[in-house]
Amino acid sequence: MKKQILRFSDVALSYHTVREETLAAEHLTFSVDEGEFVAVIGPSGCGKTTLLSLAAGLLSPSAGTVTRSGSCGYMLQKDELFPWRTIEKNIRLPLEIKRMNTPENRERALSLAVKYGLGDFLDCYPSQLSGGMRQRAALIRTLAAEPDLLLLDEPFSALDYQTRLNVTADVSKIIRSEGKTALLITHDISEAISLADRVLVLTKRPAHVAFFHALDFGDCTDPLKRRETSEFSRWFELLWKELNG
Amino acid sequence: MKHLDRSQYSREHLGFLKKRRLHAALVWTLRLGLLVLLLGLWELITRLGWVDPFLTSSPSRIAATISGLYRDGSLFYHIGTTLWETLAGFAIAVVLGYAVALLLWWSETLRAVLEPYIVVLNALPKIALGPLIIIWFGTGSRAILFMTVLVGIIVAVMHMLSAFIATDKNKLLLLRSMGAGRLTILTKLVIPSSLPSFISMLKVNVGMAWIGSIMGEYIVSRAGLGYLIVYGGQVFKLDLVMSATAILCVLAAGMYFLVVLLEKALVKNTDD
Repeated sequence: MKKQILRFSDVALSYHTVREETLAAEHLTFSVDEGEFVAVIGPSGCGKTTLLSLAAGLLSPSAGTVTRSGSCGYMLQKDELFPWRTIEKNIRLPLEIKRMNTPENRERALSLAVKYGLGDFLDCYPSQLSGGMRQRAALIRTLAAEPDLLLLDEPFSALDYQTRLNVTADVSKIIRSEGKTALLITHDISEAISLADRVLVLTKRPAHVAFFHALDFGDCTDPLKRRETSEFSRWFELLWKELNG
Repeated sequence: MKHLDRSQYSREHLGFLKKRRLHAALVWTLRLGLLVLLLGLWELITRLGWVDPFLTSSPSRIAATISGLYRDGSLFYHIGTTLWETLAGFAIAVVLGYAVALLLWWSETLRAVLEPYIVVLNALPKIALGPLIIIWFGTGSRAILFMTVLVGIIVAVMHMLSAFIATDKNKLLLLRSMGAGRLTILTKLVIPSSLPSFISMLKVNVGMAWIGSIMGEYIVSRAGLGYLIVYGGQVFKLDLVMSATAILCVLAAGMYFLVVLLEKALVKNTDD
């Protein structure tokens, strides 16, 4: 059996405001294995981002347990690069914060940046880079501290369609070749199918697992190639029905 | 985007640059021209006797008054007094205001508790405290310094606090997901991202410091530019009033310019 990186057991979470109490998730149970790419889809407002906050340990569950083995790296919708820092210093940020800012770690982060085409931009400021390059820099920043689990919160949704397809392929390649475990939140069914090994479908609020599918694309991990296969449209139809049914 | 070297610029681009330069030169010429024109007109209408220079003074009389002050050695004494009060008050207000804003950012409870007090202090015309200040601090520089700090500090606190609170929520989330504590968030994110607000606070406070020091000198003083203005008004020496005001204009502009220089040195990459 593969090692489990993340495990939700019967998790419930309530939000409290002065006016009301909202039950965002209930009886939420699933797990993510090492090296796996899991995509989470669900009706809008079902608490997908809540799920990531729980996985990151930013929220504690009201009931049940969230177990994570190892560290995690969070990647957001926008790149959130610090405009006053160069790309190199942005990439170094998690090392500084996690007190891992040693010459070896810096060297490793830099070689990642060079390997994935940011070598010429290390001394640039984020405003000098295109949207796609910025999101790539954000991914390298997330990878710099070698997290065991990547938490991706709709990281492509702020990009225009053309750039999005390219950056998705890009990021997929990097995550696969670095052998990282990833949990992706998205509202885009086709993005989920083109990227993931397994797709988790959430119900509407209070969220729990409606379906958890293992996709059958075999060794095909290239998102653009996947989009051309017949399985792709079959999965799309199925997930569409499950989301709207 | 592809950027070209200077030598590769097209004729069109060179034309564009030339146009920009010409426009800048035109603006500067007109600015200086306007000043010369206004001073010239002022001088002219007093010379022609259209207005009474006893009431309006004139550029030549101002120049004569200033050189008179210079010859009897009191010019730099008065400038120095006011400048010291203004700069010291400015520095204290900025440093203390920044520190208080940090404290209020740190503790939400403290912020909630102190909010009404800050609002009232902000709305209160500080000059109302004049008599109290004289009784507490006497009639020397200390009273004026206190007034200057008082006028500037509330602005500094409110300006910086709102900048600290406006820190990007997603960047905060990012840092917290990396396990950053409050102190790390403060030094890595809140302080650097509020730098442009810090500069604009400095700019506002340059004005506040001059208001504070001159107001202070109006209430109590035996020296300084504010004292010259009040004294000049009381003995109907409008030349003295105008001279001190002209010097104030130059000094305030100079101080503002220094802040702009600081801005150019510090704020380079803040656009997202």
